[in-house]
Amino acid sequence: MSEQQELLVQAAENIFEAIGEADLAEAWSAIEDAGFGILLVDEASGGFGGDWADFHAVMREAGKRALPLPLGEMVLATWCAGRAGLETPSGMASIAVEVDGEMSGGQFSGVLRGIPWGRHSDSVVTVASGQAWVLPTEGARMDARTNPAGEPRDDLHFAKTAAHSAATDVDLRSCAALMRVAQIAGAADGALEMSVEHVNSRKQFGRVLAKFQAVQQNLAVLATEAAAVNCAGQAAALARDRDPGGDGAAFEIAAAKLRANIAVGTVTSIAHQVHGAIGFTEEYPLHRLTRRMMGWRSEFGNDRYWAEKLGVRVARLGGTGLWHEITQRSDLGQPA
Amino acid sequence: MSVFAIHPFATPSDAQALRGEVRAFLAEHLPDSAPARRTNCWAVLDPDFSRKLGEAGFIGMLWPRRYGGHERDPLERYIVLEELLAAGAPVGSHWIADRQTGPLLLRYGTEAQRRKYLPGMARGELFACIGLSEPGAGSDLANIRTSAMRVDGGWRLNGQKVWTTNAHDAAVMLTLVRTEAGSERREGLSQFLVDLDLPGVEVRPIIDLAGHHEFNEVFFDDAEVPDGALVGVEGEGWTQATAELALERSGPERYLSSHVLLASLIDAAQPEPDAVLAGVIGRLTAELWTLRQMSMSVAAKLASGQDPMVEAAVVKDLGNNYEQALPIAIQAALGCEAQLADGSALADMLAMLLQSSPSFSLRGGTREIMRGIIARGLGLR
Repeated sequence: MSEQQELLVQAAENIFEAIGEADLAEAWSAIEDAGFGILLVDEASGGFGGDWADFHAVMREAGKRALPLPLGEMVLATWCAGRAGLETPSGMASIAVEVDGEMSGGQFSGVLRGIPWGRHSDSVVTVASGQAWVLPTEGARMDARTNPAGEPRDDLHFAKTAAHSAATDVDLRSCAALMRVAQIAGAADGALEMSVEHVNSRKQFGRVLAKFQAVQQNLAVLATEAAAVNCAGQAAALARDRDPGGDGAAFEIAAAKLRANIAVGTVTSIAHQVHGAIGFTEEYPLHRLTRRMMGWRSEFGNDRYWAEKLGVRVARLGGTGLWHEITQRSDLGQPA
Repeated sequence: MSVFAIHPFATPSDAQALRGEVRAFLAEHLPDSAPARRTNCWAVLDPDFSRKLGEAGFIGMLWPRRYGGHERDPLERYIVLEELLAAGAPVGSHWIADRQTGPLLLRYGTEAQRRKYLPGMARGELFACIGLSEPGAGSDLANIRTSAMRVDGGWRLNGQKVWTTNAHDAAVMLTLVRTEAGSERREGLSQFLVDLDLPGVEVRPIIDLAGHHEFNEVFFDDAEVPDGALVGVEGEGWTQATAELALERSGPERYLSSHVLLASLIDAAQPEPDAVLAGVIGRLTAELWTLRQMSMSVAAKLASGQDPMVEAAVVKDLGNNYEQALPIAIQAALGCEAQLADGSALADMLAMLLQSSPSFSLRGGTREIMRGIIARGLGLR
């Protein structure tokens, strides 16, 4: 981690800590004041000039703390719009990748599904058919929905809503999938930390749970899965920065999101198992991590989505071609 | 909290050229083996292939030139190894000498020992095996009972090693024995180089469940080795033998030794796989890609002089799981007309790996031992 990234993560930690149990408006204004929205925007355009490794590091921290805010969505919305030469209006901006509707003559009619914090957002950025759109949410009809962690994932229905659009090469789903990988990586490490603390303090049969081999072996598996997601996420973020394939690290992000999805089942089940009944209560904070991970597993591509996409791509490469692709991408993806 | 500190792998600038060299070598020299012999390929013995690899400068790549080495970068070596494994090359004969015995002699060996063994190892002509396990000392390695007693001008060995991979193909064994009578556990152990053609040394085959001869029993019956056979410091054997286990545990052989099976499935599914096969290929690719990132991270950490014991255990455990799940996932996803006896290359590889893969989480430290190391890294023990 570079020194700049360490400072950034430290700042993120401090702000997430300070937000604590604050209400949404107060918490969001703390995030806005800290300027995280412009994390990925170039310095020349007045942004922070962060890279995808920075984004991964911040989102990992947000995941570890189960931050109940659309911070990453805001960063991506701002970056995606800005890259296409569009502006997002002030206030909360979110993203949508499930688009069902028609865009013509500067107007959108249709529905955007599963928008994180859609009900609170002032605008939504989406990409369809090579066009980035910034849609104001005012006047849109909303179907309020929530994911398993109780976070808003709303559908917004638009009828001839005037919106700005511009051509883009951004694959918004892929970028958003990387965000979820980072959050799962952080949440998995958070669940591991909580589990280790718990087994070091809870006693049964006259000794702490940590001393039971069965518990040790299970936590080793949890730690290993958490390590895999962290490694995959960091590698995908670095690949996104270096972009050796010229495709926005599509291969690496697909692999990383799929690997993260695979890990979620093991991580959540072992964390709950070693906690026993206390971890199943509303009062105990473990569920803030595990329920989010359960939801994130589906978002921006579930296992089937990424496995098929990756599998079809790999099959076209052929058996030897897969190896050549993997090695060439990492050889050429190194900093000069 | 995390037990895996990620370390960037700074790919050598000549990586693509080096891969090209290895691929050209393989195009010329990779034997046209039966498909099953291309699986689990770091256990497949082929002395002729090893000699050719040695000639090409792909063994002892890190060792000093004066011992026949090539003074290359550790990450260059990593690239060569992963290319060989991904192609299913039979690298079993020299693997242990190249990976463990050679580096150990460079660290602890005497000048005479290095002169005697390293050049032949680097040529791919002198093969080594490692004598650790005994009938009463498997996962509980510190229970070693084989002894070496001082005699005039040397040491006399008595006892038995077991599960010694490739002892029948090797000229020398690096073994760990008890040199202090009455000592217990990790105390009083020392390492010796035992030439396997010495009187009093007998190698007997143990045939595995698939009918293969990979491991052996090795008996020492008043076998006498000279003073010069002691490696490092008397009584420091435990520390020496376990110091570089990270080298053994995190290498590309932990996730690539069955890669030809995945490649073969992909070729069979070309060009448009059905949804089930696409899903399986995608999932296995995601596991493979992630493991490679992790293994490269540990390799880079090792190259920078650190000893990432816990990270290496993580890679071994995950790699074993992946390589054991691989044939099962493929067997489950093939069309029902595919049978293990259908004579296709894919079926032959699959049948072989279904049988050999249970051993992956036994050799080189069992799954339970690896997870114990990780648990220690978490502060649980």
